[in-house]
Amino acid sequence: MKIFFKYILLLFTLIFFNSVYAQERTVTGTITTTGEGLPLNGVSVSVPGAKIGTTSGADGRFSIKLPRGSTQLEFNYVGYTTTRVAVGAGNNLKISMAADVRQLKDVVVVGYGSQKKSDITGAISSIKGSDLTQLSTQRVDQALQGRAAGVMVLNTDGAPGGNTTIRVRGSNSINGGNNALIVIDGLQGGNLNSLNPNDIESIEVLKDASATAIYGAQGANGVVLITTKLGKKGKPVISYNYSYGISTLRKKLDVMNAADFAKTINANALTRTAGGAIPVPIFSDADIQKYEKNGGTDWQDVIYRAAPIQNHELSISGGTDNLKYLVSGGYLNQQGILVNSEYQRFSLRANLKTDINKWSAFSLSWAGSKEAGNSPPFGSADISFLGNSVNVAPRWAPTEPIYDSIGNYSVHRPGYGASDTWNPLASALEPKVDNNTIRNVLNSYIEFKPFEGLSLRITGGANIININNRMYHNLKTYEGKQNTGLGLSTESMNVRYQNSNILTYDKTFKDHHITFTGVAEQQYSKFNFSSLRASKFLVDQTGVNNLGGANIVVPTSDAEERVLNSYLGRINYAFADKYLLTASYRADGSSVFGKNNKWGYFPSASVAWKASEESFIRNLNVFSTLKIRGSWGITGNQAISPYQTLSRISSGSNYPYNGSDGTDLGFFIANAPNPSLKWESTTQTDVGIDLAVFKGRLTVSADYYKKTTKDLLMSRTIPGYTGFTSIIDNVGSIENRGIEIEIGGDPLVGKVRWTTGFNISANRNKVLNLGNIDRLGYRTTKGGYNVNDPFMYLIVGKSFGQIYGYSYEGTWKTSEAKQAADYGQLPGDRKFTDINKDGVINKEDLTVIGNAFPKFIFGWTNRVSYNNFELNFLIQGAKGNDIFNMGRIRMETPGEGTSSRLLNRWTPENQNTDVPAFIDGKTREEAGLTSKIAIGGDQRISRWVEDGSYVRLKNITVSYNLPKSITEKFRLSNLKAFVSGANLITLTKYTGYDPEVSSYNANDAQIGVDFSNYPQAKIVNFGLNVSF
Amino acid sequence: MKNNSIYLRIILFLFIVILTIVSSCKKLEETPKSFVTPQNFYTTPAQVEAAFAAAMNNLWDYWGGYGYGQGTFVNDDQLDGGDLVISRNHGSDLWNRHYAAIANLNAAIGAMKKGSLGAGTSQDVYDLLMAQAKFLRAYNYFMLVRMFGDLPLLTEDITDPITAKIGRSPIADVYNLIVSDFTEAAGKLPAEWPTAQQGRPTSGAAKGLLAKAYLTMATAPLNDISNYQKAANLAKEVIQEGKYSLVPDITKVFALETKYGPEMMWSFNSNYADINTDPEIYKPGLLGGWGDFRVQREWEQQYPKEARKDAYILTEIDGKNYTEWPDEQNPFIKKFMYDKQEDFDNYSSIMNMPILRFADVLLIYAEAANMANGSPTQEAVDAINKVIDRANGYIDNPLHPKLTTGMTKEAFDIAVIEERNQELCFEYDRWFDLIRKRILKEKSIPSIQQNFSEDDYLFPIPDNDIQLNPMLTQNPGY
Repeated sequence: MKIFFKYILLLFTLIFFNSVYAQERTVTGTITTTGEGLPLNGVSVSVPGAKIGTTSGADGRFSIKLPRGSTQLEFNYVGYTTTRVAVGAGNNLKISMAADVRQLKDVVVVGYGSQKKSDITGAISSIKGSDLTQLSTQRVDQALQGRAAGVMVLNTDGAPGGNTTIRVRGSNSINGGNNALIVIDGLQGGNLNSLNPNDIESIEVLKDASATAIYGAQGANGVVLITTKLGKKGKPVISYNYSYGISTLRKKLDVMNAADFAKTINANALTRTAGGAIPVPIFSDADIQKYEKNGGTDWQDVIYRAAPIQNHELSISGGTDNLKYLVSGGYLNQQGILVNSEYQRFSLRANLKTDINKWSAFSLSWAGSKEAGNSPPFGSADISFLGNSVNVAPRWAPTEPIYDSIGNYSVHRPGYGASDTWNPLASALEPKVDNNTIRNVLNSYIEFKPFEGLSLRITGGANIININNRMYHNLKTYEGKQNTGLGLSTESMNVRYQNSNILTYDKTFKDHHITFTGVAEQQYSKFNFSSLRASKFLVDQTGVNNLGGANIVVPTSDAEERVLNSYLGRINYAFADKYLLTASYRADGSSVFGKNNKWGYFPSASVAWKASEESFIRNLNVFSTLKIRGSWGITGNQAISPYQTLSRISSGSNYPYNGSDGTDLGFFIANAPNPSLKWESTTQTDVGIDLAVFKGRLTVSADYYKKTTKDLLMSRTIPGYTGFTSIIDNVGSIENRGIEIEIGGDPLVGKVRWTTGFNISANRNKVLNLGNIDRLGYRTTKGGYNVNDPFMYLIVGKSFGQIYGYSYEGTWKTSEAKQAADYGQLPGDRKFTDINKDGVINKEDLTVIGNAFPKFIFGWTNRVSYNNFELNFLIQGAKGNDIFNMGRIRMETPGEGTSSRLLNRWTPENQNTDVPAFIDGKTREEAGLTSKIAIGGDQRISRWVEDGSYVRLKNITVSYNLPKSITEKFRLSNLKAFVSGANLITLTKYTGYDPEVSSYNANDAQIGVDFSNYPQAKIVNFGLNVSF
Repeated sequence: MKNNSIYLRIILFLFIVILTIVSSCKKLEETPKSFVTPQNFYTTPAQVEAAFAAAMNNLWDYWGGYGYGQGTFVNDDQLDGGDLVISRNHGSDLWNRHYAAIANLNAAIGAMKKGSLGAGTSQDVYDLLMAQAKFLRAYNYFMLVRMFGDLPLLTEDITDPITAKIGRSPIADVYNLIVSDFTEAAGKLPAEWPTAQQGRPTSGAAKGLLAKAYLTMATAPLNDISNYQKAANLAKEVIQEGKYSLVPDITKVFALETKYGPEMMWSFNSNYADINTDPEIYKPGLLGGWGDFRVQREWEQQYPKEARKDAYILTEIDGKNYTEWPDEQNPFIKKFMYDKQEDFDNYSSIMNMPILRFADVLLIYAEAANMANGSPTQEAVDAINKVIDRANGYIDNPLHPKLTTGMTKEAFDIAVIEERNQELCFEYDRWFDLIRKRILKEKSIPSIQQNFSEDDYLFPIPDNDIQLNPMLTQNPGY
């Protein structure tokens, strides 16, 4: 480490020395755009022939030392014509740079190439890296949220290093996964978590089939293309970013204080008369007085904390005529708001590109990262919720102390409250979790460009992931107590190689412009995995680090390989720069497909008409761009896991065939082969329009799409005489339709400059076919919540995310006593909708009580600058989705629950409430009533379904660029200070921790259940960006 | 321009070279690494035996205590709770499990026939493995054909049952396979295995089961009486070979030390690594059990008082008759309670569930010889009297007298069936006797007789299979 700093120091000294040495005269000036006169930030200013350079600041100002004898300055800026100016004796130069019409046409990265934005015929959302980093963020997936229409980013949990679900244009698949393909610098199958946002040049989201079909069997769920940065020609630019923040629990669940809780428990206890018992209060008046004084324990305060986040990023980039480079490193340390949770990421990247000669170039990049994370288990983790701290903390009685009299974790007293659960603090602090992921991504290519228009690029890349996870539940945890210590150790290695050979030919003759792309590609991946699950430990202290001390060790291991060979071609044709045509075709040969279907074929075609290039439109002088697009294509989802099409001999049906004392291994045929199994296939049609008016100050892009996915992988039942009950087959079918609108603009361009972008999208889907069944139910709990039957349904003819249950109308009023009695209920009892009006509430009355998918989602980005100040903010939200707030069930159970809602329970004085009165069965019996609510304890009731719509100030950042006059004194080219906040304001009716939640994500049919998931945090950050 | 076209040609050439490299580099055929497929399994005797173990595991989970298999046969007259209402899908679990076992056995048989064991395997080893496979397959079909009648007949010749067009083969065809498989097994299996392999099927077991199959063929529904003689001959062979004998002490017929003989001929095996079930399921609440299987009171009441009754049926605890028990006022199955207290506390019964016992063979002989001969022969009388004598504790019991050659064929036959009823109770045998002798209605308690129909003699073909394969016909009445 010391040596490293020495080198850094040396490097700094060299750079400074360099500029000091050549010093002669300081020239200052301001650079503005020709026409509008706006200051240009980041223009590279250099002295031709000398190794001197600088960049302009946010105010367009620059300052450079002109060596003796030099008389010229050169100004370089992407999208603008390079300008050379002779420098006289004067100072304070006024430089005006004109936009380079040829260059200004934004270039957009597409699959296996790039295209002028104006020539795009498909639906692609493009985000510049610089826009992402305007807002302080450490994660690329999260930074995508609210940025692009049709892209839904759901932070399913709030743990540091936690999970996100990214859906492009809805859900296509049930069992095949719906994650978009991530492509980083051409390398497929990338990971967003480990990327440093600062390294990103641009992100493109490919949405329609014309854009994604080029990725064939991997393209159905959309594609996210990420391009990382490379240095620009000029002297080295060193930049260092630092931020420090504090995250806190965004919102606490509303629970009672100790005195209210004790009173509520007593009130309930006094209604318990079953078996002729004489009810007695549980807490004495003296107890209650004591609780009134000290308030009791706030368990959410006990396990949640204000947690610091620290982030450092250092990068050096630059280039000469034939070498460009970027080296960057980052360190992120994020403590979680739940005690004993944290995430650390070390990342390093080196990108290098060199021109070997005029017609060939070579590029090499390496990105390495090490992630270390730990958190006590939460949500749907594979442990009992009784020892899940997020679950139990708000449920533990505030009357219980943290520790008992001798300093051990307290045990919940029996007789009331969540007495079957484990101490929340022990549940949070004691699980020892140590998860480590090391990634190495290598990517290189050699490119030949023998003459203008022809290139052959041969790439080779590898993505290597090593995972080493360890977990130990000691005797102070619930799981540890049950198992006498429970340890889990997992090791895996996943290596993925890719070689793409890309031939591009680009030719313009007369009015015709044609680009041909041909690719031959091979991908190979290998996965090795082994894990040990150990229990019955003799020595608790060493735990999983000494498996020899465990009495029971269960090992598992696995190995998989996957091959994908592909050939693809694409033609882009433009006539007179008005009529555009793109056609592509990909053939994917995949090892995971069945023997009879090894090759899948994915065609696409799209057309666009640049109406604004027609003279009759141009003459209107309204549109600077008017383009109408249409596309069609087929993409696939190769959701089959390796060897799934083969019949498999499995171990695990042992039987003492020999009749001796030991068992005999039994190997059976676990599944039937399906040699015809193939990819899920999505056919998508898209029509869109792009327009720009007011000289490009207002842009609008709108799309309508319709996708039909067929051959969904599902299990199909087969006759039992075959020896099997079911087979995985291409069975179901789903449709998604939607609209997307992106609006961008520069409402203010003067001294106060305001750039804004708004996007909104609505997706509707429908299950068309589920094979020989008409519905598929999913049950998401492991018991304990009386949600024992499926309640998340896929139903033919209906959309994804159907929540099924009993419709709850609240409580019976005194005035409704007669109607209540018809159902055997008293005023204050629960009132359900009797769907079939047969006088009984039973299974016949199950109905749809919610839908977990939003009607629409939107995002609104803003950037306002004034002098050296800049304000960025992002507002984002979803509308119309329901959440099954399962955690409430136990929190509102009489005699147990801590929810403040119980204070609003029905009483003769408080009848306008949906919280039932405390009434026991005996009271009903004495009133001569027999309950007609024949649903037992079933909690699939709409009482727990809440509107999950929200609008959120996702991020706001205020930054200040120090004036050039000051930064110059420190020999800095730029210094920016900022303060930012994430999740500061959220408008929602949802009463759980956060409306952005999904505890069960095994497949999209289960999205929308909130159960003990790690809550989202509110973060305040401040930081500095410095560059030399 | 000329220069350009040269470059173009070079690049195109290069690209074509790459194309060929890509297509030849990694093959798309999959070779799994962490498991094998049926195509490359069954290459050693141990692997073939692993398929046998798996086939038995499939059944044992059901027929053993955990599967609560008795529930499927609750309509016999021994168990409490039957109502003679046989619903759709009744027995579908058994259908699925027996066919799963058959699928594994067919795969092993087919692979071995194709030479999966390799040339290095001796003919003896091959024959021994093949004989066991055939034995197990015959057993599975014998169970299925008695429950469901005509069956989809899957053998190793049907390599892809999922796409193959398959209908139901007549009962007689199924028996042809059963007879041929058991015959091969009887010829090639050893008369006994070394102690370490005592649980495997023997030639005696094969002959015994084949005798039972012939006996069944001689009765309903085939009623091909020429099979009585075949059954008698085979049973006689087993008796004369002398490898098996009755356990003299009636209280030790079901005991840990007699799990593998001399009376037990073949059974679902069990040990502490693979326990049979929780002993709790057989015991009434009074003994700390869960009381899952109750015996019908009417059946217990007609069972003569004798030593065997006390050994096989639990009617009293601490001198109190079940009629005086607090709530579970039924007799319980005592046969399968041969556990130690420690086993009971650990929820692990390691009893074996009998499939064929020597007592059964004696009774098969008695029945078959009487029917073949037209009247009871001395040998037939001797065979059944061995069972009766033991049941009575080797004393004369007027409530349960020994049989004589002076009886008519019919009276003797009724007495044999009744003896089977009592000796083989709760061993999944009664139901099959009731249907092959067509006495289900008369033996049922009067209160449920109105539910009887001839259709009850077959279980329904599972709904799932009927819906998915239109070539399958349903049994009448479902």
